[in-house]
Amino acid sequence: MIRVGVVGCGIIGRIHCEALQEVPGCELVVVADVELANRERAKKEFGVSAVGSVEEMLAEFDVDLVDICVPTYLHEAVMTQAMRAKKHIFCEKPLARSLEEGQRLVALSAGYDKKIGIGHVVRFAPAYEGIRQSVLQGEIGQAGVVRTFRGGSQFPVGWQDWFADFDRSGGVIVDLLIHDLDYCRWLFGDVERVYAKTTQGRTTARLEHAMVVLRFKNGVIAHVEGSWTNFPGQFYTAVEVAGTDGLISFDSRKTNPIVTATVPDTRAQIGPTAVNPYALELEDMVQAIKEDRPPLVSIDDAFATLEVALAASRSARTGQVVEL
Amino acid sequence: MVVKIGFLSLAHMHAFSYAQALNSIKECKLVGVYDSDKERGEKGARDMKTEFFADPRTLLEQVDAVIICSENSRHREFTELAASYGRHVLCEKPIATTREDGQAMIKACEKAGVKLQIAFPVRFATPAMRVKEMLDQGQIGDVLAISGTNHGQMPGGWFVDPVLAGGGAVMDHTVHVVDLIRWFLGKEFVSVYAEADSMLWDVDIDDCGMLSMEMEGGVIVTQDPSWSRPRTNPTWGDVTLRIVGTKGVIDLDAFAQNFVVYDDVKNKISERSFAEDMDFGLIEDFIHMIIEDREPSISGYDGLKAMEVALAAYESARMNKPVTLS
Repeated sequence: MIRVGVVGCGIIGRIHCEALQEVPGCELVVVADVELANRERAKKEFGVSAVGSVEEMLAEFDVDLVDICVPTYLHEAVMTQAMRAKKHIFCEKPLARSLEEGQRLVALSAGYDKKIGIGHVVRFAPAYEGIRQSVLQGEIGQAGVVRTFRGGSQFPVGWQDWFADFDRSGGVIVDLLIHDLDYCRWLFGDVERVYAKTTQGRTTARLEHAMVVLRFKNGVIAHVEGSWTNFPGQFYTAVEVAGTDGLISFDSRKTNPIVTATVPDTRAQIGPTAVNPYALELEDMVQAIKEDRPPLVSIDDAFATLEVALAASRSARTGQVVEL
Repeated sequence: MVVKIGFLSLAHMHAFSYAQALNSIKECKLVGVYDSDKERGEKGARDMKTEFFADPRTLLEQVDAVIICSENSRHREFTELAASYGRHVLCEKPIATTREDGQAMIKACEKAGVKLQIAFPVRFATPAMRVKEMLDQGQIGDVLAISGTNHGQMPGGWFVDPVLAGGGAVMDHTVHVVDLIRWFLGKEFVSVYAEADSMLWDVDIDDCGMLSMEMEGGVIVTQDPSWSRPRTNPTWGDVTLRIVGTKGVIDLDAFAQNFVVYDDVKNKISERSFAEDMDFGLIEDFIHMIIEDREPSISGYDGLKAMEVALAAYESARMNKPVTLS
């Protein structure tokens, strides 16, 4: 039984705690969070111990796997501590906030004899996995032009509102679009150059809309777009891949098998799949430990994706094309 | 007053939709068709229930205005010819294939005292007109970002001939969206970055691309002009704009008003529009402009500005860096 400790039990940490309940062969034993309210909630919801820091967790609990769900800018510090404690590590995306942080983590991980996996969860989403299979099988011939969208929901509110501090979160490109940048890398390989635009710095409204144009080394042209809105909008994602022999098109808004409307007026669109992608990525991590194999998304892979996201971010800031 | 109209060339298939509009507007009369391709002209004239003219001059003597549906690179010669006869011009987009040609067309019409209008019919699509009103009313605050598409199927024919068309998908499908956005916001584009390539079809011209632009006041815009709709697509393509403002978002799908027909006999699934015909709106506006002697709603200058963005996109794609527009 793999004993798991989750560090950071806010928005995403809670999602991981829920997902871990579904993962066979592991047991959530402890969470660490600086906020008392988050600790109390985790105790109540998951019946686990809760401590106030990662140091306490590592000192007082015998965990095999540390699952890092703290804000991005704290990833390096927590992952470094977990490595010093010789733990298996699963870390939420993005790997780190900056290239330097990422480089230090990659250097530290060289020769590390425990497993490290990064949570690029979109690779575990059934629709995205299906699209990948279809593309790889050549159903639409050679891919040429790709579009992705992710967003539409309200600007997130995290601990100390860290998402709104772009120095800490990186904003839409680094925090949100990194999902699609990783997915596109997974399908099409290395990126040749990137040119990006974002509303970051162009408005004081609490929103961000970003549009990234990529050219892959294999020639594929991609448009990766996404947003956080300043109104309570509906989150959705979309993918379109055009190839020499056809087109693949997916829009999550069109794939809700259940739509409800009730009295009093509430409306919901529900797209249940029997599998939870967060549980799948954590199951892959647990199995990687048990089978002594690398997890699907390695630290090197996640670093390569981070490089693309930071290149896009730099392009948006400077107005220049960034070659990779 | 009945405005007499002639077609100069039927190379562009939009001519047939324009003819349908002409034949249903009582203030105008379709007099005839000239086409350098005699076979195409004669057949087209029959379909349009009008006369074929082997000499454009004979046709020009008998009309008040012409609609030019030639290959892009021949727009200038036909416009200059029409202007020399003192005839008004409605020219298919893009205005031309070079800046010099576009400017010469504007100058020729000015000198002759005739109107020059460019055919950007999407301005007459009801959903586009409604969005223009919504933006003017400030319903989404100040516009910050726009993401557009004008996808299509690969048109083939002279559209994939670099000389006759002046460019591929980027030239064909950038100008509609650029014109719509210029009209919506009343601002000009100041920089263009683009990727353009032949990735989807066996053609020697760009069949796909991606533009990333900036407008006056810092509005950011992307546009996907790709001929990326497969042959099995239920319709020709799309025009969509996601417009992000400080107080909301508008998602415009200009041709969403369809029902779907599944036809086992033809083994085909197709979308059928129930929207108002935007080409009718364009032609009606052109006829009324002549009758009322007012300025064209879409001028030669508008056509020139849209084409300049497409030309800058090609320059950017060649150099792999953004290009500043003057």
